Amino acid sequence: MKAIRLSFFHMLKLVRQDRMLLAAGLAPLLAGTAIHFGVPFAEKIRIRFTGLPAILSPYYGLFDVFFSSITPAMFCFIAAMVMLEERDDHIDRYLSVTGLGRNGYIVSRIGFPALAAFGVTAMLLPVFHLTPLSVGAILFLSLTGSLQGVILSLLIVTISSNKLEGMAVTKLASLMMLGAVIPYFVPAPFSFVCSFLPSFWMGKAMMEGTLLYLLPSLAAEGGWIAVLWNPLCKACR
Amino acid sequence: MIQVNHLSFRYTKKPFIQDMNFSVAEGEIFGFLGPSGAGKSTLQKILLGMLPNYQGSAMVNGRECKNHGSDFYESIGVDFEYSTLYEKLTAKENLQFFSSLYKRQTRAILELLASVGLENDADKRVSDYSKGMKSRLNFVKALLHDPELLFLDEPTSGLDPTNSRLMKDLILAEKRRGKTILLTTHNMQDAAELCDRVAFIVGGTIFALDSPHNLIMSKGAAQVTYTWLDHGEQTASCPMDKLSEDTRLHMLIAENRLQSIHSSEPTLNDIFMEITGRTLV
Repeated sequence: MKAIRLSFFHMLKLVRQDRMLLAAGLAPLLAGTAIHFGVPFAEKIRIRFTGLPAILSPYYGLFDVFFSSITPAMFCFIAAMVMLEERDDHIDRYLSVTGLGRNGYIVSRIGFPALAAFGVTAMLLPVFHLTPLSVGAILFLSLTGSLQGVILSLLIVTISSNKLEGMAVTKLASLMMLGAVIPYFVPAPFSFVCSFLPSFWMGKAMMEGTLLYLLPSLAAEGGWIAVLWNPLCKACR
Repeated sequence: MIQVNHLSFRYTKKPFIQDMNFSVAEGEIFGFLGPSGAGKSTLQKILLGMLPNYQGSAMVNGRECKNHGSDFYESIGVDFEYSTLYEKLTAKENLQFFSSLYKRQTRAILELLASVGLENDADKRVSDYSKGMKSRLNFVKALLHDPELLFLDEPTSGLDPTNSRLMKDLILAEKRRGKTILLTTHNMQDAAELCDRVAFIVGGTIFALDSPHNLIMSKGAAQVTYTWLDHGEQTASCPMDKLSEDTRLHMLIAENRLQSIHSSEPTLNDIFMEITGRTLV
C-alpha cells in the first residue's frame, strides 16, 4: 500500500510540472463557479429582457449531474494522460516489475484518482449545486460520477497509444456524459436505448428525484469496467 | 535460482515457445542468444511474471512465475533494452522515486551514481543525458534494491565501445557480488565474454545450451594459418590438432622462413550459425 500511495503522490508531482494538466485539475472550480453563479444569472437576465418564462431552471438538476461528472472526468483525464506519457517512456512496463507491481500501478493511476475525484466532488457539489441535494443524492452523484471517470480513464488508456490520440479519445469518450440529457428530452421507452450509459441513469435519478437508479447506474458502470479491464491489463503488459 | 520445465507459450494458435527446459544456478551469468523474434523477450516476460498464460513450469526464487505474490519483485532487478526513466525529472529524483517502491533497504543513491560516473550529473534532467548516460542510469536503477537476480536485456545495445566496456565491467562487478544474472542479447562477443553458460534460441526452441568455451571447442579445433615467401607470398592452413603432422610448417620453422603465423578459433557466432542455420542479427 505504501508503494501505491507514493506512486500516486509521484503522479501529483508530475502533474504539477505540466501546466496543461494542472489547468485541467483546476477546471472543476471554474466549471462550478460558472454553473453556480453564471447559469442562474443568465436565466435572470434573459427573463428580465424577454419577459418569457424560465427555460433553464427546470433543468438545474441536469447542471448538477454535469458538474458531478466534470470533476471526475478531469481528474481521470489527468491520470490517463500521465499513464500515456509513462507508456511513451516505457515506464508503465518498468513499474509493473518493481515493488509496485502491475495491479499497484493501475490502482495508483486509476483507483486513487477516482477516489480523490469522489472526495472532491462530494465536497464541491454542496458548494456549487443548483438544486437542493440530500446527502444521499450528493453521495450518489459523486459515486456514479467517479466511476464514470474510471470508464473515461480506461477508454483513453486502452484505445490511445500516445498523448495526442488520448486527447482525441477524451473528446469522444466525454460524449458519454450527454446520456444525462436523454431522460429530460426523449420519452420512454425510446430513451432506454441509452440505458447502457451511466449518465443516463444519473439524469433519470435527478429528473424523477429517486436514488433507486443508483443500482442500474452502478450495473452499467460495472459492465463497462469489466469489458475494459482485460484490454487495460494487456495495455500495461 | 531459476528452474524451467517443459515451458510452452503461445500468443496465437501457433506455439511461440515450445517445450523449453533449463535451469540457472545462483551466482551464474546465463545468456539467451538469438536473433530478433526468437522468443528471448517473451521468455524474459514469462520469467518476470508478465505473461501468466504459459504451460509447464517456470520457477524463479522457488516461486511459480504465474502465481507470484506482491513481494516477487523485491528480489528481482530489471534493466530493459530501452530507457525507462522519467525524462523530465533529474537522475536523483528518478532513483529516489523508484527506490521508494521497495520494502527492503535500498542502496545509497549517490554511491550508485558514483559507481557509474554520474555523481556530477545527479541533478541534471534525464532528457539532457546522452544515450550512454541513460543506459548507465537505467542499469543502476535495477540495482537500487540490491536484488539477488538481475534481468538484463541487451545491456550494451547501441553503446559506443567505451560505454560498452564500462557496462560489461559493471555486470561482472555485480557477478562478483554474488548476483545471478540473466542476459538477453544477440551480441555474441558480449555473451562469450560475460556468460558462464548460453542458450541458443531460435523459433522459441533452445538449440544448444553450454558454456561459450565448450560450444566453441565442441565444433572442432582452431585453424592455424601461416605465410612464407616462395616466388611471392604463399599461404597454408592446418588444424591446430594436426600441427605436428604438417612437415612444411616444421621445415619453414627450421629454416626461419615464416612470414606470419596465427590461429583462428571459431566464434560463438560461427557455432550459432552451424547449429541453428541462422545468423544472430
